[in-house]
Amino acid sequence: MTEQKKAHHIYDKDDQVSKDRPWIFRTYAGHTNVWASNELYRNNLSKGQTGLSIAMDLPTQCGYSSDHDIARPEIGKVGVPINSLDDMHVLFDNIPLEEMNTSMTINGTSMWLLSLYVALAEERGLDISKLNGTTQNDLIKEYLARGTYIFPPEDSIRIIVDMYEYCLHNIPSWNASNICSYHLQEAGATPVQELAFALTTAITVLDAIKERNCFTEEEFERCVGRISYFVNAGMRFVEEVCKMRAFCEMWDEITRERYGVKNEKYRRFRYGVQVNSLGLTEEQPENNAWRILIETLGVTLSRNARCRALQLPAWNEALSLPRPWDQQWSIRLQQVMAYETDLLEYPDIFDGSHVIESKVKELKEQAFAEINKILDMGGGVEAIKTGYMKSALVASQGERMSKLVKGEQIVVGKNKWTEGLESPLVKDSDGGIFMVDAEAAKRTIDALNETRAKRDPARVKASLEALAKAAKEGINMMQASIECAKARVTTGEWSDTLRNAFGEFRPPTGVEGQALTIETDTLKEVRAKVQAFIDQHGYRPRMVVGKPGLDGHSNGAEMIAVAARHAGFDVIYFGIRLSAADIVQSALEENVDVIGISLLSGSHNEIIDQLFEELDANNAKEAIPVILGGIIPAPDFAALKQKGVKRIFTPKDFDLMVVMNEIMDVVNEQKSK
Amino acid sequence: MSKNQNNKTAQPDSPNPIERANRRLAEQMHQPLPDDLQALLHQAKDHEKWPIAQLISIFERNTDANFIARHQIVTYLNQQAKVFNKQAMVLGITGTPGAGKSSLIGELCLNLLEKQPEMSIAVLAIDPSSHESGGALLGDRTRTIFPVKDKRLFFRSQASQQDLGGLSKQTFHVTRLLRKLFDLIIIETVGIGQNEIEIQNLSDHSCLVMQPLAGDQVQFMKAGIMEVPNTFIINKCDEDALAKKSLHLLRASLKLAHIYVKGHADNTTASSSPRDIFLTSAIKKKGIDELADFVLQLCHSAVSANSLESQEYYFLKKWVRQAYGEFGMGVYQHLNADECLKEGSFEEKEQSFKQLISRFLTHLTE
Repeated sequence: MTEQKKAHHIYDKDDQVSKDRPWIFRTYAGHTNVWASNELYRNNLSKGQTGLSIAMDLPTQCGYSSDHDIARPEIGKVGVPINSLDDMHVLFDNIPLEEMNTSMTINGTSMWLLSLYVALAEERGLDISKLNGTTQNDLIKEYLARGTYIFPPEDSIRIIVDMYEYCLHNIPSWNASNICSYHLQEAGATPVQELAFALTTAITVLDAIKERNCFTEEEFERCVGRISYFVNAGMRFVEEVCKMRAFCEMWDEITRERYGVKNEKYRRFRYGVQVNSLGLTEEQPENNAWRILIETLGVTLSRNARCRALQLPAWNEALSLPRPWDQQWSIRLQQVMAYETDLLEYPDIFDGSHVIESKVKELKEQAFAEINKILDMGGGVEAIKTGYMKSALVASQGERMSKLVKGEQIVVGKNKWTEGLESPLVKDSDGGIFMVDAEAAKRTIDALNETRAKRDPARVKASLEALAKAAKEGINMMQASIECAKARVTTGEWSDTLRNAFGEFRPPTGVEGQALTIETDTLKEVRAKVQAFIDQHGYRPRMVVGKPGLDGHSNGAEMIAVAARHAGFDVIYFGIRLSAADIVQSALEENVDVIGISLLSGSHNEIIDQLFEELDANNAKEAIPVILGGIIPAPDFAALKQKGVKRIFTPKDFDLMVVMNEIMDVVNEQKSK
Repeated sequence: MSKNQNNKTAQPDSPNPIERANRRLAEQMHQPLPDDLQALLHQAKDHEKWPIAQLISIFERNTDANFIARHQIVTYLNQQAKVFNKQAMVLGITGTPGAGKSSLIGELCLNLLEKQPEMSIAVLAIDPSSHESGGALLGDRTRTIFPVKDKRLFFRSQASQQDLGGLSKQTFHVTRLLRKLFDLIIIETVGIGQNEIEIQNLSDHSCLVMQPLAGDQVQFMKAGIMEVPNTFIINKCDEDALAKKSLHLLRASLKLAHIYVKGHADNTTASSSPRDIFLTSAIKKKGIDELADFVLQLCHSAVSANSLESQEYYFLKKWVRQAYGEFGMGVYQHLNADECLKEGSFEEKEQSFKQLISRFLTHLTE
């Protein structure tokens, strides 16, 4: 007879008191080129990191080879560039694939990256059924928030289904896609929207898989079991605990009731986390270290809703791209939390709390109501095409900005307790901003040219034709795609082939019909200036807003566009993924008074150069002022202004009307020249 | 301007200050077109983008200086009719938000240029202004995807400026300029209710774009505007089955409204000229070819739904109503202004009418 079991202990299957294993520690990493990233991964693995989370650069994510014009300013900036299978051999050199759990943040070109990974394993002579990992491959959130989509929604869903079908039969431990609510919260989603939109995405994918009818009942259950999530955790950590519990319960209900999954194991809500970067501030950035810790609590405290894998942002993400030391500091936080505290010794500490239970119930009810609304409107794909979800997010973000300005939501150091001693950390970090050197990009392009020179053109041609044929005839494209990889097809060629087959997609921007609720004295001041301008010049000030380059995080640009209309401007919103020539041409055709561009990828110096060259070539450099917003490190300000940028706005400038007031001043300065 | 100058330029017999101001304006109008504007026009003729854009601004902006320049430009263009010899057709495209007008226009233009590489096209896209702030968010550029630096294509966004017609007051003025510079002008407008009617008065041919099975037709029927467009387009017909179903529904609706569809047997009781229906998918590039052929045919036949003259009188009357309200309209009818205002540019007619009003007022006060 064993002793009476105690409620505060965890017992293993032999009834011994035990302790949970920690979650997987990851760092989202990759930069410069495959050589540098390989070194970084091997280094991180030796420091106790237990999984790989691969960051690709924007050209790779958007389906361009490194030598494409639009790719050049972005090579190696936010991740590693991958052009062909030869690059993969270098990237994973001396890393045992069969022992790795590899997560790839890749969407528009997810099938391509999986094909490269499989082809790499096959060329190494490995049993591919042993491969383990995740391709992010959630296109719905790309249309809504992140911007690295390529193809229209139906075709994107078809690619996802192709991958689920292939993976279940060939790489059973691979998560073919990962439902991301992370980026929804970054784009302003409330917890209810985050729950509803993410679960709707999962339903959209599963409905499409069911419709293809390619699995037996048992296989379909396993397939449901492969659906994993990538969520976000914000500062309201008690609510976040409740949100995670609601996610688990809702997923269990949906998989059981909508899909009839009998095996409980396959109904479990499996998720990884990156905690929120949106709440991190540029002001007093040292406070972000606390914020990251608190956000971590939301996804680790509740055992029943604890994450499987965790990656943390760096304290200085609002300032610039993090350096290796900044990332190491974040990994240490995870290690302290998992190994120094007693967190992993207890069963769920919230079970039985009627406060938590009531909050979870409310979140579930509201989220289910929203899901049903979207399903009634025709489902996830339809809600993308009509812009319903996008508009809801832009509205939530606008609401959040309004609350910050009005002081209804306090952010320490940003809109309250803004005075303080200067941080020695910031001084330090200014010198150490992450830079990619031009030589590294050249090495990438040289390697690409070498691959092109060495490969068999006939095999390339045949493999691309087979891919196009599979795409058009509705045959699963994975095998054709893996053959492309082995034939040394490039990222750009693979993507262009499917662009031709499916077309390129531009989703609704969500900015039309948005209204801000800001009613401040600054607003009155700006509107008075706008009116004076109209009286004098006979028209409203005109502004073009767009994002040059491949970075698709459009929130900032969208907010400025909505704010400019609120101030009384006529705003031409040009959206994302534009070349400098596109932006200049729009400014000329629209005869605007000011150009506003937003950049977060760290390629502002190169892109600003391109923009001014283009303006200069049209004799318009002195006539049309340029303002810049985004993640711009302070040390770059002087050089950018020297080049001719009239104002620079960063996350610190959260009061949109103050920003508009300054932009209006720029317009008037130009007119009075 | 100082009082001193006022006294100098004013004639001794000027009856009142308004009259004096009018005369001053008239004097300036009759100066020849300044050299810098002449240069701009010739650059615009070569489809240089910024010069075209700056000229459009002159036709959009509401100041005396722009009013004068407009008159001078139009007069110059008429004098140089041999050099500026284009006579663009204006194609109006309207329909509910979300019908995919912008993407469709993008595909249509690219197809037209493939067929006629020498052709030049200007697109004017109009979006509504906010009633609250007066500003506007013009987002059509994100969806009309044109190759960069192609001189044959020009894209311009306009705000409706709360004009009830749904078209910017200035849109008409801009077409006066663009007709002389391009082969085809496409005007895209958000169609809710009245706008379909307004675009009629501005275009030589108008198309109504609808989504398949979205119930748009029923709304348009209720609003009584199915009769207005010359051509119907059902866009977003990504699948054939959907396209067929939508076509049948539209035909049924049109039959109820006694609108005759071309090439369809059951329309024996035609009450108006026959209409075409096109089924398109901008994203799958379906039906674009047929639509482009049709537009080319329109360009060549150059049969306008309403003459340039009648367009001008429509917008002159509209201006009278906006500037002087019902009183102005009363004066207009009383003086049979259509007849009196036959000569000169639009600006001169505006000017003459201002003078008529001013004399009328003087007469009343004396």
